[in-house]
Amino acid sequence: MASSTALSFNFSTLSTHFKQNQAPLRGICNVNSVSLPSRGIRPGSFRRLRVSCAAKPQTLDKVCGIVRKQLALPADSSITGESKFTALGADSLDTVEIVMGLEEEFGISVEEENAQNIVTVQDAADLIEKLVEQKAA
Amino acid sequence: MAASGVSAPTRTEVLHLYRSLLRVARQFCDYNIREYTKRRTVDAIRDNKNLTDPSQLAAAFFDGKAQLEVAKRQALVYSLYAPKVKSIMDIIPS
Repeated sequence: MASSTALSFNFSTLSTHFKQNQAPLRGICNVNSVSLPSRGIRPGSFRRLRVSCAAKPQTLDKVCGIVRKQLALPADSSITGESKFTALGADSLDTVEIVMGLEEEFGISVEEENAQNIVTVQDAADLIEKLVEQKAA
Repeated sequence: MAASGVSAPTRTEVLHLYRSLLRVARQFCDYNIREYTKRRTVDAIRDNKNLTDPSQLAAAFFDGKAQLEVAKRQALVYSLYAPKVKSIMDIIPS
């Protein structure tokens, strides 16, 4: 809650600053300041607007948890969306097992070709999102 | 011995076999057999990970395929007489 009010406060100061300058800039700034408060902000959703077809943070967290357990990594090792499986020390057999674990966790079925194209953690999370949507549809 | 014309499996074939074995393992209704199949495939595939000799690779791959057939048949047979009471390990604490 406090952070959302901080965000809106920043934009209102920006808009007052820009009013002194040219009109086109003020137009853009007004659009920004209107859209955010009307969404009932969480900082996570603001981030999601920027990136196209990104997976939800909860999905990514679950994926990271499964990867961490499968590769027996310590709890403080960082796994982000951009970490490649090979960089984390997983060989192709580990990748197969991780994909199986993800299938079981999310109740989906990953095709052969899709499974071979998974390189980073983010790829896996996006694929899971897509399959869950298809299943729910 | 077998003819020397048998070629070694490719990497994708082996991964496909691995995936199929794990999928079949999931179909067993009995918790113990399911876990055993998963454990056994993981152990066997990892044991044979570093083979380089083509005839050994072909033999191991052939074994794997035979076991896959056995597992598929047995999963079907077990499902015909599935127990009505689930194993305690299958019950997720609510």
